[in-house]
Amino acid sequence: MLQGWFQIALTLLLIVAITPLLGRYMARVYLGERSFLDRILNPVERVIYGLVGIQPRESMTGWQYARAILYSNVVMVALIIFIIANQGWLPLNPTGVGAPTWDTTLHTAISFITNTNQQHYSGETYLSYGSQMWALGYPMFTSAATGLAVGIAFIRGLTGRPLGNLYVDLIRSITRILLPISIVGAVIFIAAGVPETLSGPAVVATLEDPAVSQAIARGPVAHFEIIKQLGENGGGFFAINAAHPFENPSPFTNLLQIIGLMAIPSSLIYTYGVFANNRKQAWLVYGMVLVLYVAFIIVTAIGEYQGNPAVNALLGGQAPNLEGKEVRFGWAQSALYAVSTTGTMTGAVNSLHDSFMPSGGFVTLSDMFLQIIWGGQGTGTAYLFTYMILAVFVTGLMVGRTPEFLGRKIEKREVVLASFLLLLIHPIAILIPGAITLNFPDQLGGISNPGFHGLAQVIYEYASAAANNGSGFEGLGDSQPSPFAIAAGATPTATALWWNLSTCFSLLMGRYVPITALLLLADSMSRKQPVPMTTGTLRTDTGLFIGVTGGVILILGALTFFPILALGPIAEAFQIAKGIG
Amino acid sequence: MKRITSQRQNALSSASATVLETTAEIVERWQQHKLPRYLFLGLCFNLVLAPAVFAATGGDLSKVQAYWLAGLGLVTVALSIYLFFVMFVPEKF
Amino acid sequence: MQASQDSKTRQMPSGKRDTRRHTPKANMSGLYQRAVREAFVKLDPRTTAKNPVMFIVWVGTIVTALVTLDPNLFGTVQADPGEQRILNGLITLILFFTLVFANFAEAVAEGRGKAQADSLRSTRSDTMARKLLPDGTIQEVSSTELRRGDQVKVIAGDMIPADGEVIKGVASVDESAITGESAPVLKQPGTDIASSVTGGTRILSDELVLNITSDPGQGFIDRMIALVEGAERSKTPNEIALTVLLTVLTQVFLIVVATVSPLANYVQAPTTIAILISLLVALIPTTIGGLLSAIGIAGMDRVAQFNVIATSGRAVEACGDINTLVLDKTGTITLGNRLAAEFIAVNGHSVEQVAQIALDASVFDETPEGKSIVQLAEQEHQAKTTFDPTQAEGVDFSARTRMSGTNLPNGKEARKGAVEAVKGFVRSRGGTIPDQLDAAYEKVSRLGGTPLAVCQDNDIYGVIYLKDVVKPGLKERFDQLRRMGVKTIMLTGDNRITASVIAQEAGVDDFIAEATPEDKIDVIRKEQSEGKLVAMTGDGTNDAPALAQANVGVAMNSGTQAAKEAANMVDLDSDPTKLIDLVTIGKQLLITRGALTTFSISNDIAKYFAIIPTIFAAAGIGSLNIMGLKSPQSAIISALIYNALIIPALIPLALKGVQFRPLTADQLLRRNIFIYGLGGVIAPFIAIKIIDMLIPFA
Repeated sequence: MLQGWFQIALTLLLIVAITPLLGRYMARVYLGERSFLDRILNPVERVIYGLVGIQPRESMTGWQYARAILYSNVVMVALIIFIIANQGWLPLNPTGVGAPTWDTTLHTAISFITNTNQQHYSGETYLSYGSQMWALGYPMFTSAATGLAVGIAFIRGLTGRPLGNLYVDLIRSITRILLPISIVGAVIFIAAGVPETLSGPAVVATLEDPAVSQAIARGPVAHFEIIKQLGENGGGFFAINAAHPFENPSPFTNLLQIIGLMAIPSSLIYTYGVFANNRKQAWLVYGMVLVLYVAFIIVTAIGEYQGNPAVNALLGGQAPNLEGKEVRFGWAQSALYAVSTTGTMTGAVNSLHDSFMPSGGFVTLSDMFLQIIWGGQGTGTAYLFTYMILAVFVTGLMVGRTPEFLGRKIEKREVVLASFLLLLIHPIAILIPGAITLNFPDQLGGISNPGFHGLAQVIYEYASAAANNGSGFEGLGDSQPSPFAIAAGATPTATALWWNLSTCFSLLMGRYVPITALLLLADSMSRKQPVPMTTGTLRTDTGLFIGVTGGVILILGALTFFPILALGPIAEAFQIAKGIG
Repeated sequence: MKRITSQRQNALSSASATVLETTAEIVERWQQHKLPRYLFLGLCFNLVLAPAVFAATGGDLSKVQAYWLAGLGLVTVALSIYLFFVMFVPEKF
Repeated sequence: MQASQDSKTRQMPSGKRDTRRHTPKANMSGLYQRAVREAFVKLDPRTTAKNPVMFIVWVGTIVTALVTLDPNLFGTVQADPGEQRILNGLITLILFFTLVFANFAEAVAEGRGKAQADSLRSTRSDTMARKLLPDGTIQEVSSTELRRGDQVKVIAGDMIPADGEVIKGVASVDESAITGESAPVLKQPGTDIASSVTGGTRILSDELVLNITSDPGQGFIDRMIALVEGAERSKTPNEIALTVLLTVLTQVFLIVVATVSPLANYVQAPTTIAILISLLVALIPTTIGGLLSAIGIAGMDRVAQFNVIATSGRAVEACGDINTLVLDKTGTITLGNRLAAEFIAVNGHSVEQVAQIALDASVFDETPEGKSIVQLAEQEHQAKTTFDPTQAEGVDFSARTRMSGTNLPNGKEARKGAVEAVKGFVRSRGGTIPDQLDAAYEKVSRLGGTPLAVCQDNDIYGVIYLKDVVKPGLKERFDQLRRMGVKTIMLTGDNRITASVIAQEAGVDDFIAEATPEDKIDVIRKEQSEGKLVAMTGDGTNDAPALAQANVGVAMNSGTQAAKEAANMVDLDSDPTKLIDLVTIGKQLLITRGALTTFSISNDIAKYFAIIPTIFAAAGIGSLNIMGLKSPQSAIISALIYNALIIPALIPLALKGVQFRPLTADQLLRRNIFIYGLGGVIAPFIAIKIIDMLIPFA
């Protein structure tokens, strides 16, 4: 047991240690200060700007920024769809896989461009290497960079700067942050045993019966793996994601993966501190998130460590819940990974979340409902500060002034945007399709595990889509047959069609509406004349106020979903406790 | 006989004129009173919606219950639209 | 001499400010009966639809009433229909009372304003006015027919028919109808202060010719009535923002409750429509939703009780946000009169001799300065009048001589006045000017005082040190303001030295010496360019641009029409220090709103824990019922009763406002979070449990 906790503590320490380093570096990149890659990259960037015709010094307004994101993403989605739909004749297709069904293609394209990487397919049998590298590899960079750009534009607006230029931020995010780290990371992954090859599946004779052969899927995994984590994408090369020994062969790669997915969203809070020139506030906010994060880890880890009472009764003693887990990671690494991946909107999994104890289900769902326990690439930090704006608005009146955040007054426009963003989008994108599905569980859901757990499965799927997380509880009839199966005569199912289309709604709703709202919010904040700080102004960099923000997050953000959690994981926990499960 | 027919025709045409006039007047009055108009349209729409609800619940409900339940659903949607309206133009409230 | 020229003494109302209420005493009897009636009248859906939170409750009440009539209306309920009917009936009743209570809160707040408006209205009656036609003849017209630009004549005993500017005549006017101050006010043309008259006041003596400045229905009293009545009440920016947040929360809970039904059905823990509506009503912020408008109306009413008329709620709210107060020295910071503080002897005379001559020179001086000289000489220096005043002759101050004094019976001429003027007087009598005089002059100036030279014939005796007296208690008020983050800037026509001494004594943060009216607007602009909100007071016509420029401009009622038009508040007592109280009222208004919002939202935790575990008991989550409520029915009824009763329980707080303390923002937040945030979490747990124990529900 001690070993497990030690592993967790060590990982957390490493993450906290990285924060100021990466945070400062990102601030330098986005503030346009000199950094060590300038010599190589400045000419490269100039060529790119020249070729595309971007005026790098021109700042965009909120609307322009949002429109630029929409247009560029539409173009990119079209490209993804084109590549996947035509993978049959496109190169790098050693297994000769044909095109998946149209709805799978659409869902995959939208899922990857929204930085969600929700997968209603298995990489091994649905996609060619070409599709994996071109159709899915590049949006892993661009969607992560888009999120980062939005986060930075938001921070700029909040601190009274012009929002900047999307294309410049996009390019700088990729060339200065994502690509350099990915190159180094991929090399380490290769060294640690992750394959990187273009040859088709290896066909080997089984040990049991040399006459029987078996195909072992492989491919260009290592480079895919690092950006999957670093960009909080989470879409696995193989169906079982980071539980697969080729994606995540050892506890070392597992540590690297967790650090990879935590690095940017946690460091971005520090970057904010540099921008706002208030590191104290940044560390306080960081501390608040860290406290929630650690609390969630503890709840999950204890649940997994204690195991299932029903199973324990059969075993005649207490044993950790290892169902759906890789033994090489054990309960601690699996719990830590699960909390981190759902908290950061990565969605990669090294164990089956479906098999977690209800406490784990509770935590992973809550992570996605809150979206700020580090949160999505760039957007997580933006959400966090939007919550602070909301907390300032609710409680700031109590000091007898119109509420201000960083000297800027919170008025109707900001409240509309912030409350809409944080409070309303999620219920719409999760609860409405969830309720429709559960009204017709058999026709639409294809739920494998009826009851409280089934409810959690459905809500989890939509929460994962709306929060742009991408992980799944699975157990739903959400996959169309693979191209091979269709060629062999399988027919597409209605439940998969419903899942593909309805999650598309949640994906889009959970990505573009918040991004637009965030940018407009940042825009309107940046245009306000700052009011000087006096002793009558509510300070937002005190422990008290950060505590209040935590309370507001829990009451406004989490309590909304309390009835759903009560009917899902909480009810399931009581059921198991009673020994029915 | 012929006279009677023409009389009847007259009566008919005058009746239809009255109906038309009344309808025109009702329509005109409606335009003054938006709420009743929306309520009426809502009830009409509910007539379409109720069978769908009835079918979806698969016989758990009677037809009357389905009608009321569909109405409740409509009211909920209407309230939601109203709240969106308040959200974006709170000055009017 | 400046001192006595400055002696336009303002009548300072006496008594503690908060105990004074000058606007005519409103008739508050029957207020509550009327409010109760109003509470039911306001159930009209067209009225309720103005309040999104309460409108949801209204619709919910209708639906629960329907399921009371037929519990199986929306689907067959397993439980006994009779039992269901009782439960649904109870829910309907409680929801109905929730609505009534919320309406009652608003009606009480409005009722207070209405009562005040009624009493104001009674002062204004249609009177006959003597309209002066261009040819000079007089035509009797009704006051309602008067238009802007008409000229009317009013004579003693008349009611002044409309707001106007005096263009001819001198008369005393009784303005008690609007100010409550019974002493008549002198009105004459051409002066900034005394040339405007208000419709509805009464002329007591002589006659005036007025130029009417407002059309009927737009006069000062009309505006006042409209404002206190709340007829023109539009939501303030902050109220609008809060409405948005409350609406979003309502929308969120509507979606949650609407979608929870299929979820509950799926896990075989179905609930009834009435219970879902109860859950919805319990979760949406009905407490603040029901009290929000009452808080705003009460805020306006509090301002009115301070005898200030605000042109909008926006202005009252802005008071709380003020960063900088720009204050005139005279009349605001100092009493407006300088008082003798010390005699300084020169030319080899003793202080007693100076006192004696100063006393002689001031015997006939009726100005406060003169009286203070007499008092100082008699009490501190035992000087006595040695001559027969009836034989002596007083010499009044004039702008030309800048001196005043007494021609004594023995032929000697005692004079006091501006140092330069006295020097001239002495030289003309063949005297010499001692060097010490300039030294004494400088000493007094350095102390921030005004020096008056004293002489008798050709002999200069010394200097009287006239000191500006800072109003008592102001230093503490400025300290409070500083703690609240409000900066004070003093404007004065005095020179730098004098200004700095007064500034230090009064404890203002900054001062502008030798200020002209243009400086006033400059300093306001400068502060505003730094993003600060500025408040100021003013009364003269040349203050009007600055009043308009300031975020909060308070005009004195004694001021000109132009100043009153430009300002967004008018102080009926003409007391410039009231600006400080207005800041407090503005802050109190915002704090009350914030406190009740926080309370309302914090309440949700307890309501969740009361309702969710019990209504989904079929899902096996009964152990979450940490309050140990008796039964699902009892839990719902208790939570709803709490939800309804908390509204009337908080009406007094909403109307009176949260008690304001001059603390820093951090201290205020800590205190209020503790009371309303933490209290809002805990209070309903206790209250719901108690209600659950009290109600006889199985």
